[in-house]
Amino acid sequence: MTAPATTTDDRTAPSGGRGVASLYAGNSRAVMARGWRATRSSNWMIVVSGFFEPIFYLLSMGIGLGALVGEVATADGDVSYAAYIAPALLAVAAMNGAIYDSTWNVFFKMNFAKLYEGMLATSLGPLDVALGEISLALLRGAFYASGFLVVMQALGLNLSWWALLALPAVLLIAFGFASLGMAITSYMKTFQQMDWINFVLLPMFLLSATFFPITVYPQAVQWIIQAMPLWHGVELVRGLTTGAVHWGLLWHVLYYAVMIVVGVVFTTKRLRALFLD
Amino acid sequence: MSAESPRQQATDAPETTRPETARALAAGARPRRFGAWYIAEHRFRVMRSYLQTMLATGIGSPIIYLYGLGAGLASLIDAPVASQPGAEGVPYLVFVAPALLASAAITVATEEFSYPIMLGYKWNPTFTGMHASPIRPGQIVDGIVISVTVRILATSAVYYLFMLLFGAVPSPLGYLAVLAATLGGLAFGHLLMAYVSTLEQDTGQIALVMRFLVLPMTLFSGTFFPLSQLPWFLQPIGWVSPLWHATELSRVFAYGYPEPLWLTVVHVVVLVAMAAVGWIASRRIAARRLGR
Repeated sequence: MTAPATTTDDRTAPSGGRGVASLYAGNSRAVMARGWRATRSSNWMIVVSGFFEPIFYLLSMGIGLGALVGEVATADGDVSYAAYIAPALLAVAAMNGAIYDSTWNVFFKMNFAKLYEGMLATSLGPLDVALGEISLALLRGAFYASGFLVVMQALGLNLSWWALLALPAVLLIAFGFASLGMAITSYMKTFQQMDWINFVLLPMFLLSATFFPITVYPQAVQWIIQAMPLWHGVELVRGLTTGAVHWGLLWHVLYYAVMIVVGVVFTTKRLRALFLD
Repeated sequence: MSAESPRQQATDAPETTRPETARALAAGARPRRFGAWYIAEHRFRVMRSYLQTMLATGIGSPIIYLYGLGAGLASLIDAPVASQPGAEGVPYLVFVAPALLASAAITVATEEFSYPIMLGYKWNPTFTGMHASPIRPGQIVDGIVISVTVRILATSAVYYLFMLLFGAVPSPLGYLAVLAATLGGLAFGHLLMAYVSTLEQDTGQIALVMRFLVLPMTLFSGTFFPLSQLPWFLQPIGWVSPLWHATELSRVFAYGYPEPLWLTVVHVVVLVAMAAVGWIASRRIAARRLGR
């Protein structure tokens, strides 16, 4: 995206040891377009079905648990339990959409379809592959987020016009998770090892102020949770949909900006180490 | 060998029992008899390759769930929770712990009876290889069932230990909840195995099962809140959900949740029936699929 445009010479040159040019052919769209076509022809049902996941959670927790919980106190007054968890589920949906695409799909493409070996045998570099796959994951995240925001609006859970900004916020979250997820997937060798991903996602999902405020925990536990990415996503989106907007939200944005940079660099390095060195 | 025509081979074979034939037949006798245990051993060896993952998730998830929900959600839900309107309530942690146990058993079952089955038939067809030996298709299924049962039992037992540690099991009969959860895992797992065994092409069916069966089952089976909190038209989900039956059964054992005896019996019967149907179907499908 921001890398310098390459000349024809660079594209045909053998890769390795020539800076960004050897990693990036400026054609990540080809990778993305390929993934999009493959999705359309094979597993679009799965992609569409992912949209229902947060809705199931919202209905189950919002109706069932909401009846047991009642209202939740936040910094800006009490909100209904459904309005409390909905933004968290939105952030989780962004995380999940990005993680599925950048972990399970990438794992399969890497180890079974041997797709990247083919791609990297062309003029495409590892950064093209990384950015292409991440963009695809982002597209999916955007789709889930827009749908869920519409559902939230219909159920009256968007309490402020700031909720419109939740969409870019969600894309930021998805970008962060997709870029890092793909790098981590490159270390996985078996299906069962993929469970590690769930192992990290589960506590984040459960404890990141998604279903209850983190203030119920001792300070040390709170610090751990606050170091995790999802908490920042939840706080950011919740601030926007409930209208509790303040400058402090920018810290969360910064967190994701750093995560994105680290993730993209890391993924590119890994792909290069796996396939080119 | 290669010089002989197939016809000659066919006419020769029945008349003379050559020594190598006798040896081959003798060598096949044991696998023919103990085939299921051979397969179980194979599965255990495969499991060793992801032992670390099993340990981490097996110990990590109970801690996270029990701590997360016990300390977190429980703080929002002060009032005692009763499974049925009119019944006596218990603290939220005691209410939710048996459901988490049953849900963990079903998670393990889902993991072992889904992609690994697809793998064995299609992607990395080890089942075909096993079938090329004297082991019968039904024994392959049995061996997988044996190995997964052991894993679910172990996972549930660990979960139960953490439930004890968190003080979530008031009843002295609580350990029986481990068996209830395992039964629930097998009930769902066997049916899942039968379904996955029929899949010739992977177009994401397993992912759809996870999303439209496993997840809603977890969310709407009276796990995190009593089934009676749901609108009446959603409550039948519980009746067909192995998770609901396993959870209710676990609750009876874990804290003496009062329900009529016939209903407790129904839970057991439904779960056993589901497990049996799934098992038999899986064996039949295996015989058909590997035999052709």
